[in-house]
Amino acid sequence: MGKIRRQRRRRLPRFKGTVKENIQIYMMMLPALALIAVFCYAPMYGLVIAFQDYVPGNPFLGEGVKWVGLRWFEKFISGHYFERLIRNTLVLSGLNLVFGFTMPILFALLLDQIRALKFKKIVQTASYMPYFISTVVVAGMVISFVDTDGLVTNLLTVLGMERQNYHVNPTAFPAIYTITNVWKNFGFGSILYCSIISSIDPGLYEAARLDGANRLQQVLHITLPGLQAVIAIQLILTVGALLAANTELILLLYTPATYDVADVVGTYTYRLGILEGQYSYTTAAGLFTAVIGFCFTFAANRISDRMTGYGLW
Amino acid sequence: MKRKMREGNRYFTMLHYLLAAVVIFITVYPMYYVLILSLSEPIHAATMKVYIWPKGFNLSAYQVLVSDIKMWRAYANTILYVIPTTILMIVTSTLVAYGLNYRKLVGRKFLTMFLLIPMYFTGGIIPSFLLIVKLGLYDNPLSQILPASFSIWNIILVKAYFRTIPDSLTEAAKMDGAGMYQILTKIFVPLGKPIFAVLAVYTIVGTWNSWFNAMLYLPHTQWQPLQMYLRRILVETNQNASQVMDAAAAMEFARRQLSNAQLKYAMIIFTTLPVLCTYPFFQKYFVKGMVLGSLKE
Repeated sequence: MGKIRRQRRRRLPRFKGTVKENIQIYMMMLPALALIAVFCYAPMYGLVIAFQDYVPGNPFLGEGVKWVGLRWFEKFISGHYFERLIRNTLVLSGLNLVFGFTMPILFALLLDQIRALKFKKIVQTASYMPYFISTVVVAGMVISFVDTDGLVTNLLTVLGMERQNYHVNPTAFPAIYTITNVWKNFGFGSILYCSIISSIDPGLYEAARLDGANRLQQVLHITLPGLQAVIAIQLILTVGALLAANTELILLLYTPATYDVADVVGTYTYRLGILEGQYSYTTAAGLFTAVIGFCFTFAANRISDRMTGYGLW
Repeated sequence: MKRKMREGNRYFTMLHYLLAAVVIFITVYPMYYVLILSLSEPIHAATMKVYIWPKGFNLSAYQVLVSDIKMWRAYANTILYVIPTTILMIVTSTLVAYGLNYRKLVGRKFLTMFLLIPMYFTGGIIPSFLLIVKLGLYDNPLSQILPASFSIWNIILVKAYFRTIPDSLTEAAKMDGAGMYQILTKIFVPLGKPIFAVLAVYTIVGTWNSWFNAMLYLPHTQWQPLQMYLRRILVETNQNASQVMDAAAAMEFARRQLSNAQLKYAMIIFTTLPVLCTYPFFQKYFVKGMVLGSLKE
């Protein structure tokens, strides 16, 4: 009894203290929370215009709003460009999944095999470099390299291919996009895997060597299992982004000549929404892809959880 | 070093080193090629056949460049956006992370959800664009600073870092009568310097290289940052080069294009070099940020 009373007596002033402290804390957080509310949540609320015939300047809700239900979604799905947009998005993101996702892992495994520390450091530093070059500059370089007299075109001509401006060649676009994406991101993407590899217990390798495992076996049975969790999570994130191809890079690299293979939902939304002012229609298109993309993440998460026991949630 | 003893086939080892050398070449050479072309005599640069060393030495492309007032204006705009964005990023991330780490915070579950949801759902570019217009930030330099002044990812990063600061320090400060503000400024801020460096490096590079928001929200060149200027010169001129023109005009156009190529390369070097010369020194901060971020996952 006495014990309980003592606790209660102590708790009272403490609680008073926490009220004051809570107020102080919330005062400190308020500006940042307000920014998040305005710049993250207000646009979510703005999604209601996907279900309206929105006229610029009107409020999102209230008088003068013309609700049209799912009309814009129907228009998008049955539209002329729907198939092309989805196909391009899936092809470009699929290529990125195959190459962009695996290259950092392979590169990290390669780095792990290099014993000369100075050389390893140089390779690593060099591999990060493209990440620091802005997308605009990278796109500018790529465009000039694949032009009729560019560096890459010269190389391809030496290898026996026809001299041409690959920038406006639709069949070349997926390759140009994928290589640019991989070139820019593989080194930086490998940092994560490298740090996990370096945290694997060296004793495991020693034991494996005593059992007669060669280098390849060590990679297959120690390094890769050690990376399993982080690979699973990265894979979920990549699959979730399947419908969100790298709009920024495509916007810089494509031309009207390559729209047929390069136009994705993001770039289409930009052209029709921002440039032509079809706000409601493009918001519906964006929302449609975002919802499907979220379903992808959810499904990938489920599958990964079942198979490897690792997931986001 | 311990693993040096790991036995392996000599040819495989050589293959690994060879592959690594190829990687260095692939990542570094394009930039190097741009550099030597920008330094060569215009006549050699025009043929684009300069592969190993600059042919001749000529800085005329750079001279043309530094006399371009528009470029300096764009450069200044970028700096104008980088500084406040970086400061605000550190301040907002620290304050929210500090609050979330306070054990007796009322409504922490709700706050965590509040931060988690925007990581998976966004309104997309059109609603964001309409919001910017409604707020009166369209065609306003603040549109480059305010939406970029916070990042939920960075809040989580700082929070993870603050977790590593022992509770005993906070408790001791409380015993000495320190309030919430003092604990923040006297303990968390001094001890958090490494993570602030991480945020600063991420934000500076990110803002320096960003252009998408500028394209959406800044219709006039007056306030556009460096990357938008580069986009006009490096990307857009190519997208509409295929107009119909007579032979003389085509010749003239071709000649201008040729000298333009060198100008473009000089511009790439001039705007990218500051970042490329500094990133090797900040490398450890990037690595640290990645590692902390992955711990959080």
